[in-house]
Amino acid sequence: MRLIRKCGLQLVALISLVGCGPTVEKPHGYSYSPNGLHAASLARDSQEDMESASAVSLEVARYLEGMFGTLDAPMLPDVEVAAGVLDIQAIERCAGPVGRREDKIERGVYRKHCVVCHGLSGDGKGQSAMFLEPYPRDFRRGTFKYKSTPVGSKPTRADLVRTLRHGIPGTAMPSYRALEESEEFAEDVEDLVEYVRFLSVRGEVERRMLTKIQRDGETLEPTSQWPREIVQSVLQRWQEAEELELEVPRMPSWMDEEEHSQARELAIAKGRELFGSELTACSKCHGEHGQGDGKSQDYDEWTKDWTILAGIDPRERGAWKEMKPFGALKPVTVKPRNFQWGAFHGGGDAASIFRRIVLGIEGTPMPPVARALNGNPGLTDDEIWSLVGYVMHLGSEDSSKPVGGGE
Amino acid sequence: MTMETGLQEKVIGGKVVSWLAFLAMLFIFPLIWVGGLVTTHDAGMAVPDWPGTYGYNLFLYPLATWLYGPFDLLIEHGHRLLGSWVGFLAIGLCGAAWLYEPRGWYRWASVGLLLAVIAQGLLGGFRVVFDERTIAMLHGCGGPLVFAYATFMATAASADWKRQGVSIDTTGGVGKGLWRLSWCLLVATIIQLVLGAQLRHALPDTRPATFMAMVHLHLTFAVVVSVLIIWVAMAVRRKELADRRVFGGVRKPANWLLLLLVVQLVLGIGTWFVNYSLPWSELFPGLARYVIAAKGYWESMVVTAHQATGSLLISMSVWLVCRVGRRFVPLAQTDGLPTMLGSGMNG
Repeated sequence: MRLIRKCGLQLVALISLVGCGPTVEKPHGYSYSPNGLHAASLARDSQEDMESASAVSLEVARYLEGMFGTLDAPMLPDVEVAAGVLDIQAIERCAGPVGRREDKIERGVYRKHCVVCHGLSGDGKGQSAMFLEPYPRDFRRGTFKYKSTPVGSKPTRADLVRTLRHGIPGTAMPSYRALEESEEFAEDVEDLVEYVRFLSVRGEVERRMLTKIQRDGETLEPTSQWPREIVQSVLQRWQEAEELELEVPRMPSWMDEEEHSQARELAIAKGRELFGSELTACSKCHGEHGQGDGKSQDYDEWTKDWTILAGIDPRERGAWKEMKPFGALKPVTVKPRNFQWGAFHGGGDAASIFRRIVLGIEGTPMPPVARALNGNPGLTDDEIWSLVGYVMHLGSEDSSKPVGGGE
Repeated sequence: MTMETGLQEKVIGGKVVSWLAFLAMLFIFPLIWVGGLVTTHDAGMAVPDWPGTYGYNLFLYPLATWLYGPFDLLIEHGHRLLGSWVGFLAIGLCGAAWLYEPRGWYRWASVGLLLAVIAQGLLGGFRVVFDERTIAMLHGCGGPLVFAYATFMATAASADWKRQGVSIDTTGGVGKGLWRLSWCLLVATIIQLVLGAQLRHALPDTRPATFMAMVHLHLTFAVVVSVLIIWVAMAVRRKELADRRVFGGVRKPANWLLLLLVVQLVLGIGTWFVNYSLPWSELFPGLARYVIAAKGYWESMVVTAHQATGSLLISMSVWLVCRVGRRFVPLAQTDGLPTMLGSGMNG
């Protein structure tokens, strides 16, 4: 009976929503959502009032409209490097409502393809966010998982294009390969990458401004120069990224050899040995047999930002709810990959796996391995390739068979 | 001789009405399908003007530019052309009904259908003119309702309706449970469609928690509709065993509903999977390798088919209500459909 009443009430509430849009003056007058969660997290950390932090986040969001424009009419910030880092034409094509202009040029490409999960502001709070695991990426942190640059660096354009082109298997992130292959939508993927970079720059500037105001006590005046300095610094990091791309060394010859060649079997056996060793500690999270059943129970950086860094234990039942009014979603632990599925989120080719072992996955507990370079101790490239070979072997149908002399 | 000619004209006229009603219903289904495709591909604004297409009259838009143009333009303009065709059929039905149809209520109902088609077209137009997703959602809900209306018109013009109108069973109360059940089913399928339309046309700033509630409600009503369909099928089967002669005619819509339910449930799961992938990739490792293709052919087809099958379920429920109503509700009683709409052929 209670269930029926609950459903009935839900239905009435929902039907009453029919025809009601957001409280805006014009149909498309959507605004960027202020980063209230980051503001609240900073306020909680410094034991200040979290409600008043929301007002600060709103003030910053409004200030940023003068620099980055609105969701429908984006613009580049007035700093020197902006035009060299971001392509305003591509950004304009992706912004605003979906459709075609009078000249048949497509508009609103981001809302067409991305908004359902990543949200209008790129905050990862799209309508379907609660169904997805992991949650959709919040671009505003400026952190990207699958890239070819070192930890702490921005991804290259090619990295983001790769994710869009291949999608992420087993998740809601689709592949946009079909768009690239069709003449009429061929530019969509590159333009979307540009817009994601734009949202990320804007979001990171917003976060850093909030930190500056709430932590350092900086004040925001129309004539303040420090926000421009932040924009400049964020953009420069995106500019540098293209030069930081990891060069993947040549693959060893055994990778091209037949399935059961001796050299290949030996290399994979070496990889297996490394996988279980203390040196790499792969098995700690991924489990002894790479089934993702290790003992790790960790969270990603996006979650730690507003839990651990704000003094909230994400493992404590219900503790996270304190941040719910500011847009927090229930913390979920990171699931180490089960290699036996053969589904690699960041790309299943040897070069991509090599990159992930060497660079780690930023924003997650997956660290980079120590690489023996310039006299530093660590794994040699040959050893890393062995590890790559073993991980790929785990995902192949052949993985059930013993390698290098049996178990 | 004159009487014979008059009778012949009456029979032919009746057939024209019946065929036009059937064609109107038949063409609304692909219209709904293409409309669903427009929603799936977010192509509602692929043509920014209305009622024209890029400044051209709707019917004069160059064929090659349409057929070889961008896909979103192809389906949006196609949807408009198909909508116009349905409009012409509704006009034809209206004209034929006023010329040949002896039942007064049917003549007025045909006017109602024409007005419904026009209103639906206007909603589609306003969606473009105001570039408003909320209107798109109303337009999305309106389509299946017009389809349901057309189904009623086609059923009411059919031989089965007229035959049953004459030899109505008046065993009072025997089919009342089924009559109520079929109405409940019709209402439930309509509510379910409205809920689905809300999901499909959710505004870009819809909060995740709101969307989650909407999905849960949609799933709850999926259970309600499933239970009702199974209930109907069981009730029909039971009654058919008792009297095949009277109850056999209801078996057809009940069987179709059962079949469509299975299809719809599979499509519903498929829709979830091609949108969100989880949780099946966790349960079945083989699916962990599946990568959703954005606006991919199969992905689009599954989602669109799910929406179109929802409309078919409404249409089938209307068919069921009509068949049950014509068989089990005694004409003598005042709360029956036939009495409401005029009794039998000569109303």
